[in-house]
Amino acid sequence: MSTSVTSSPQPQPKTQRPTKPRHGAKSLAAVVLLVAITIWAGIGVQVDLPAIAANWRNATTNIIQLLQPDYGFFPKTIPALLETLQMAVIATVIGSALSLPLAFLASRATNPRPKLLAGVRFVMNMIRSVPDILFASILVAVVGVGALSGIMALVLFNVGIIVKLVSESLDGEDAGAQEAALAAGASWPKANRAAMLPQILPSFASQVLYTFELNIRASTVIGLVGAGGLGILIDNVRSFFRYHELSLIILEILVLVLVLESLSAWLRKKLV
Amino acid sequence: MEHTAADIRFSDVSVTYPNGYTGLKNINLTIPAGEMVGIVGLSGAGKSTLIRTINGLVPITSGSINVGAHQLNGRGGTQLRGKDLRELRSNVGMVFQSFNLAKRTTVLNNVLMGRLYHSPAWRTLLGAWKNDDVELAMAALERVEIVPKAYEKASSLSGGQQQRVAIARTLAQRPQVILADEPVASLDPPTSHVVMRDLQRINAELGITVVVNLHFLDLARRYSDRLIGLRSGEVVFDGAGADADESVFENIYGRSLTAEDVLGNKAEL
Repeated sequence: MSTSVTSSPQPQPKTQRPTKPRHGAKSLAAVVLLVAITIWAGIGVQVDLPAIAANWRNATTNIIQLLQPDYGFFPKTIPALLETLQMAVIATVIGSALSLPLAFLASRATNPRPKLLAGVRFVMNMIRSVPDILFASILVAVVGVGALSGIMALVLFNVGIIVKLVSESLDGEDAGAQEAALAAGASWPKANRAAMLPQILPSFASQVLYTFELNIRASTVIGLVGAGGLGILIDNVRSFFRYHELSLIILEILVLVLVLESLSAWLRKKLV
Repeated sequence: MEHTAADIRFSDVSVTYPNGYTGLKNINLTIPAGEMVGIVGLSGAGKSTLIRTINGLVPITSGSINVGAHQLNGRGGTQLRGKDLRELRSNVGMVFQSFNLAKRTTVLNNVLMGRLYHSPAWRTLLGAWKNDDVELAMAALERVEIVPKAYEKASSLSGGQQQRVAIARTLAQRPQVILADEPVASLDPPTSHVVMRDLQRINAELGITVVVNLHFLDLARRYSDRLIGLRSGEVVFDGAGADADESVFENIYGRSLTAEDVLGNKAEL
């Protein structure tokens, strides 16, 4: 069967086939460069593989303790667990509400004023370039230890993400209906509301759910600097070397994140 | 507001695009209120530019255009902007080749976009339309026979239906003029005739001026009172459709006609 195909005479092509361009030298140069950068970075941070082997005995004791969670500790973690969840919910709601109008100001497709556009984008880039834990440390210093500083840090973190993603989907959206609204005498804000908002609502809802997932994880981490939630509890048990209890908290976070992620993934699938 | 019609007058209008391309050259035209005008020409001849100067979507470089009480000027002249420009546009409906509907929202919401100029900002923001506006939109849908689909998503409609929703959107503006930029270029022949007949009926029954760009000569001749032929940004024919014979079209197109220039006998209704 197949031999008949391969043995059939090749018809002479009507036009000359172009020769495949060669990139060999460039690819090799790129790989060499990458290896060189990696070695340079490794030397820079003084990677010491023998030290890891030498300290292995210390680590095993801790790891064995971590593998045996203290389930009796669970009731005491409930308030912190709930606080983490509540922080994530509140921050997601406030962050999303602030992000929607800002996203329209940050997209070339919906903001006709170049200076305002550049200004909003600059501020958004600043917000996004600051890690959430840094926001948390600063806010803990300003408004004090607790959930409030955590929520504020998460809101800033959320605005940075949602504005970026939603303004990008606005940029990529077909602007035909907006053009029609403008041609019918609508002002830019009205045209954006009537013609662009319905187009990006599913993508906005999807980003909000995604941000909620990120918040669950982030709210545990920012707690380490005193911004409320499970993080504060982690910091407590860890500083007293109570690894059985720490292990349980890690397990709780794992379960919480997995459950909420699959829930949100399922919801987002419905949206698209 | 009544359908008080307005004349459109081009006085020595030229358009040069920022890249140096000449869109229109010294156009002088008067389109009296209530006329149905077909504009023909090759792509790149300036049909789209001509139509889009009337509602200020394309700014003119020199000369002036009067639409009713409004005047659009070239560079150096007083520019129509802000509220004044929006008022002009609210009197001029526009139909596009690719329908330009917000596909993820309802047919009714799309038609209501024709009311945005008149609707207060807070109502627009909340989507709380006045009952009068909703009724006006429904009446517009009635005219193109799509009322039963008012609450369906625009994306669920066929191309022909989407274009008729777009026509209803312009009707909801209660306009004096409707501009149609290649309204049937994305449609099959039978649907093209349905849409053209809608425009013709609107012109005849409501007295709204209709200016329509068409590629197909037979459609242009059949559905318009007056034909304007453009070639390289200049008017090379202006007269009744009946006077436009083969040689006139060959002058407009700068070459002999081919089967692709007519929509054809394939699907006459």
